[in-house]
Amino acid sequence: MAQDTILTLDGVIAGYGRMTILNGLSAAIRRGAITTVIGPNGAGKSTLFKTVFGLLGVRSGRVTFDGTDTTGFTPRRMLDAGMCYVPQGRNLFPELSVRHNLELGGVALADRSGLAARMDEMMARFPMLREKADAQASTLSGGQQKLLEVARGLLLSPKLMLIDEPSIGLSPLMVQEVFSILTGLRDGGVTILLIEQNARAALAISDYGLVLEQGLTRIEDRADAILADPRIAQLFLGGGVAA
Amino acid sequence: MTDLLQLLIAGLATGAIYALAAIGFTLLWQTSQTINFAQGEFVMVPAFFALIAMKTLGLPLIVSLAVAVLASLLLLGVAFRYVVVGPLLQRGVLPLVISTIALGIILKESVKDFYSAEAQVFPTLLPDRNVTLLPGVTVSLAQIGVLVVALLAIGLLQWFLAGTRTGRQMQATAQNPTVARILGVPVERMILYTFLINAGLAAVASILISPIYLAKFSNGETLGLVAFAAAIVGGFNQVRGAIVGGLLIGVLDNLAAAYVSTAYRQAVPLVLLVLVILFRPQGLLGRREERAV
Repeated sequence: MAQDTILTLDGVIAGYGRMTILNGLSAAIRRGAITTVIGPNGAGKSTLFKTVFGLLGVRSGRVTFDGTDTTGFTPRRMLDAGMCYVPQGRNLFPELSVRHNLELGGVALADRSGLAARMDEMMARFPMLREKADAQASTLSGGQQKLLEVARGLLLSPKLMLIDEPSIGLSPLMVQEVFSILTGLRDGGVTILLIEQNARAALAISDYGLVLEQGLTRIEDRADAILADPRIAQLFLGGGVAA
Repeated sequence: MTDLLQLLIAGLATGAIYALAAIGFTLLWQTSQTINFAQGEFVMVPAFFALIAMKTLGLPLIVSLAVAVLASLLLLGVAFRYVVVGPLLQRGVLPLVISTIALGIILKESVKDFYSAEAQVFPTLLPDRNVTLLPGVTVSLAQIGVLVVALLAIGLLQWFLAGTRTGRQMQATAQNPTVARILGVPVERMILYTFLINAGLAAVASILISPIYLAKFSNGETLGLVAFAAAIVGGFNQVRGAIVGGLLIGVLDNLAAAYVSTAYRQAVPLVLLVLVILFRPQGLLGRREERAV
């Protein structure tokens, strides 16, 4: 278990101000797999990401990432430890060019001399970025912006990518593209932890699922098992009707 | 026509000084939601740092100016960031706004009580001669100097913000601090840089404007208002907006003083402010702000 687990939460309590969202959450995320986090609104999905990444303080409990106790780490230290976070919504610097947005993904790079080469790699992987390199980021379509955010996150060659609702506001075609990028990353060895409104579609490309309810882990299982469980479908996937 | 040219150059020279104050205003707002109503006093005070260095400590002019810049960076930059803005920003934007108004009053009254209530002659580094640009068009070298130095400062800042990695990290912090943090940008340090730049620009503006208008404790009143108006007119979320706003107000108030009445000169920024708010609330170059809930 220890070997194939990349991220472990032990009784994590966290929240905003007086509000507690995570109520002693424990979970183990498998290395090299896509795990989709599902659960109703307010279950603590996004809070889980923010807490793991160090944007929210851990009040109690422990977070272990890649064999290191990262409880209380700052986002900067999480980046150095090999985690990146792509939050929900628009996360670009609208007035900066595509190239400079991408470059900012390398702020935490220990060796600046490798930055240009990494940026070139990303532009080779996503040719759109090269075509639009000098355009202002705000001129990109929603899908292109998401690609840029993902590429920016990949600049540091993370071991684990937290990605929150990547498909929101994207066309079905673009959603397919984002999903295929994620599976491609997984096949390249990157662990993906995903929150997705379209839970069925996300579970279909996932290896594991993590079902949260009221800040606690309700179910941890293989994605296909979760998809096949009629009770889960009824409770968390919007009715029992097969997709 | 020749009058017009002369007025334009004079207007651009004052406008460039307004722009220096307005840029700092905009930067502080962008990176730390600080609406600095003491901005006018920030431009008034450095001249007195220089006067203290010169008259009380007996230092030569150049050294005194350097002392003034340094003191501004420390007091109007670092101390303002950590003593005033740091603790108060957690209480929200409004308490901070009120506090900057108070700070402005404190600075103004302190200069009046502890230095002098009289306008002080302030030495200039620029030659006080007139040159003839075109037949019939005579401008003072001092004005040209002010314009050149101010535009140089603005150009340098623009180059720094757009052309260096640190500058782009500052822009990133201004445009989306949360995401900047997620990418590992040292957001706190970038915010401090903004305060230092604001203090530095204020010191430059002070050194440029005081030889023309004399150094007086009450100089900040109009300057602060004009900087505020210039920032709004240009677009509150854009550095280049502040530049355009500052230059525009400078030119228009010189034209108004010459062709309408000097009495209306001070009304120009306010009229412009009202017009922009009515017809183009995001400012001439501004973009509408979308704020995520």
